[in-house]
Amino acid sequence: MQRRQTQSAVAMLAPATGLITVFVFVPMLLTLWLAFQSWSTQTGFETARFIGVQNFIDIFSNSSVGRDFKAALLNTLIYTVLSVVLILPLSVAFGLLVHQKLAPGGIVLRTVLFSTYMVPMIAVALVFSKLYSPTEGPLNQVLGWIGVPPQTWLSSPQTALTSIVILNVWQQVGYFTVLAVAGLTQIPDSLYEAAKIDGANPLQRFWSITLPLLGNTLLFSAVIAIINSVQVFEPVALITQGGPVNATNVLTYFIRRVGIERAQGGLGSAMAVTLMLSLVVAIAALFALARSREAKSA
Amino acid sequence: MHLLRTFARAAGTAAVLLSTTALVQAADVSFLTHWGPDTVAKLEAAAAAYTKDHPDTKITVRAVPFGDLLTTLRSSGGGADGATIAGIYDAWLPDLSKDKLVAPVPDAIAADTKANWPAGVIGAASIGGTLYGIPNEIDVYALNYNKKLFAAAGITDAPKTWDEFLADAEKLTDKSKGQQGFGMINSWAAGVLHPFASLLVSNGGELVVDGKPTLDSKQATETFELYEKLIKSGYSDPAMATADANTTGPFLDNFVSGKTGMIIMANWWESALKAGMGDNFADVATAPIPVGPSGDTARSISYSWMTVVNAKASADEQKAAWDFLSWLNGPSSGPNGASAMGDILMSMGILPSRTSDGAAFKDKLEGDAFLKGYTETLANAKGFPVVLGGQEFSEALQKTLEAVQFGQLSAADAQKTAQSDATEILTRAAQ
Repeated sequence: MQRRQTQSAVAMLAPATGLITVFVFVPMLLTLWLAFQSWSTQTGFETARFIGVQNFIDIFSNSSVGRDFKAALLNTLIYTVLSVVLILPLSVAFGLLVHQKLAPGGIVLRTVLFSTYMVPMIAVALVFSKLYSPTEGPLNQVLGWIGVPPQTWLSSPQTALTSIVILNVWQQVGYFTVLAVAGLTQIPDSLYEAAKIDGANPLQRFWSITLPLLGNTLLFSAVIAIINSVQVFEPVALITQGGPVNATNVLTYFIRRVGIERAQGGLGSAMAVTLMLSLVVAIAALFALARSREAKSA
Repeated sequence: MHLLRTFARAAGTAAVLLSTTALVQAADVSFLTHWGPDTVAKLEAAAAAYTKDHPDTKITVRAVPFGDLLTTLRSSGGGADGATIAGIYDAWLPDLSKDKLVAPVPDAIAADTKANWPAGVIGAASIGGTLYGIPNEIDVYALNYNKKLFAAAGITDAPKTWDEFLADAEKLTDKSKGQQGFGMINSWAAGVLHPFASLLVSNGGELVVDGKPTLDSKQATETFELYEKLIKSGYSDPAMATADANTTGPFLDNFVSGKTGMIIMANWWESALKAGMGDNFADVATAPIPVGPSGDTARSISYSWMTVVNAKASADEQKAAWDFLSWLNGPSSGPNGASAMGDILMSMGILPSRTSDGAAFKDKLEGDAFLKGYTETLANAKGFPVVLGGQEFSEALQKTLEAVQFGQLSAADAQKTAQSDATEILTRAAQ
């Protein structure tokens, strides 16, 4: 009887686990294996030659490819941190604006905010590349009206990455606002009413009720924002091509350049493995932080 | 028995129908290019003219931005379902041929090609003596300048030497108007590298000799120092130099809108200038690259493009592709003894490399003041090195030059980095 139940469970799980194995685990294991090989992506796997950890030594060396990889790793880190640091507070702020019932227009505002998320990246890239134009761009013209000198935006290594972050925040904040609103709706009104009776002002209510009870939503938002940011590719490929001077060269773009354009599959795989490990470490650290906070407050 | 006979008849009819269909539609040929919509329309028209007489061949054209061309070739061109024909830049050929992505030109077409194109262009389309593509365009670099800005700055003639070039750049620079003397390019490998390489060869130097980088030469030192001087003196503003994935962007906008006095660019951007400037295109003049202190005559680098055929396409498709390319680049497909390819290229202001096209378009080439400035420099041009690892070498040097543009590296450090990177990349690629 128990054997039949086991067989039945295996039969029911097999299609899903089989697909996951074929389309997720096999490519992951293949990438891991290729990271230790010298291999051109234009040739069959039989041509791969085992070279140990040489690919990892190369990507952290001081050679041209090593310098570019380290720059891409740092840029991806900065991009991710800036994006998360800007998106999360803005999404909460916009969420509060949308969620409040004191003034009308919440649904309209929610629609407007979410609409940026639905605009295809190609359109966003085209518009922002023109908005950011240092001499002809409307942004600098508007800044000029209020006496702010023209900014270099995408044309300088000092400002290019931040400009791409602004573009990302503009596009993504609507989606995270919807998540924040969903979290806010879960907070019982009775808690606010009780706090009001106890004499808590709006700021105290925000710090003591809203923010702690939004913890799970913010953790989920942070994980999604980190994953989205680490995977940034389109704005770089469409607007800056990683320049100027590597300032916007991010890991996904550089892996594509090395692995596909230059056909250096082993090196590209080593970079992909490093990216995957970094992401795992970052997400694990985030969950550990959240767990330790929970333990402290408990 | 009756049923069996019916089946046999049906099978026979199906076999005849299938074989007829196969005969009528022998080959599907797809053509991958980076050309813009207007030029693609011309190529499609040429393909339609060809298929009228060759109904057994179906030709489709697919265009991607220049920045995606190599990636598209690498990712989809490597399989049997990839593009049958692709237009490629000669510097990519060694790596594509090493990975067996491109097929050698069939003997008869190769013999005809070798007889009708200059030897230098044939050399750039060959690896180890084997021809891999039919060359089509050749590009050289020249100094483009804005005559109106020159007149306003009191400059009468185009600079012939680097000293005159620097003096003119100083006169043309006016920060109060947001005007720079000389426009560099960044964020686009060829756009950064080719003007630098043109100044280097005009100073008597070279990027690579016999497969070894020569960026440690005295001529290269002087060229890096020229770049540093242009930046430090403020004659060139790197913030005005950005290019985008379509090889346009602020560097083009600034020249088009009269905010850049001089720029070093290739002949192919004539169409972009005309589109951006309209009637003001008449203000643009062309002159040879100024000669450096160690140079003897004005030189530029040259590079060529060619059409190659996917080595993994079926034999029928490869044959159909070569037949079409032979016709497209032959003297009977275009007007007045020119090739259809030559006609398409001339519509963009690009110099066709077939010898007879030069003669067929002689009047147009001599009557076009902009192009004349380029054709005059063709004889002294030095081919951009066609070596294994060429693209990676270009991208590494691009970053080093951009670091000079933004003051992150001194001329001396940049030269040292460039030579060391190039040595490592070319040595590794050659293994």
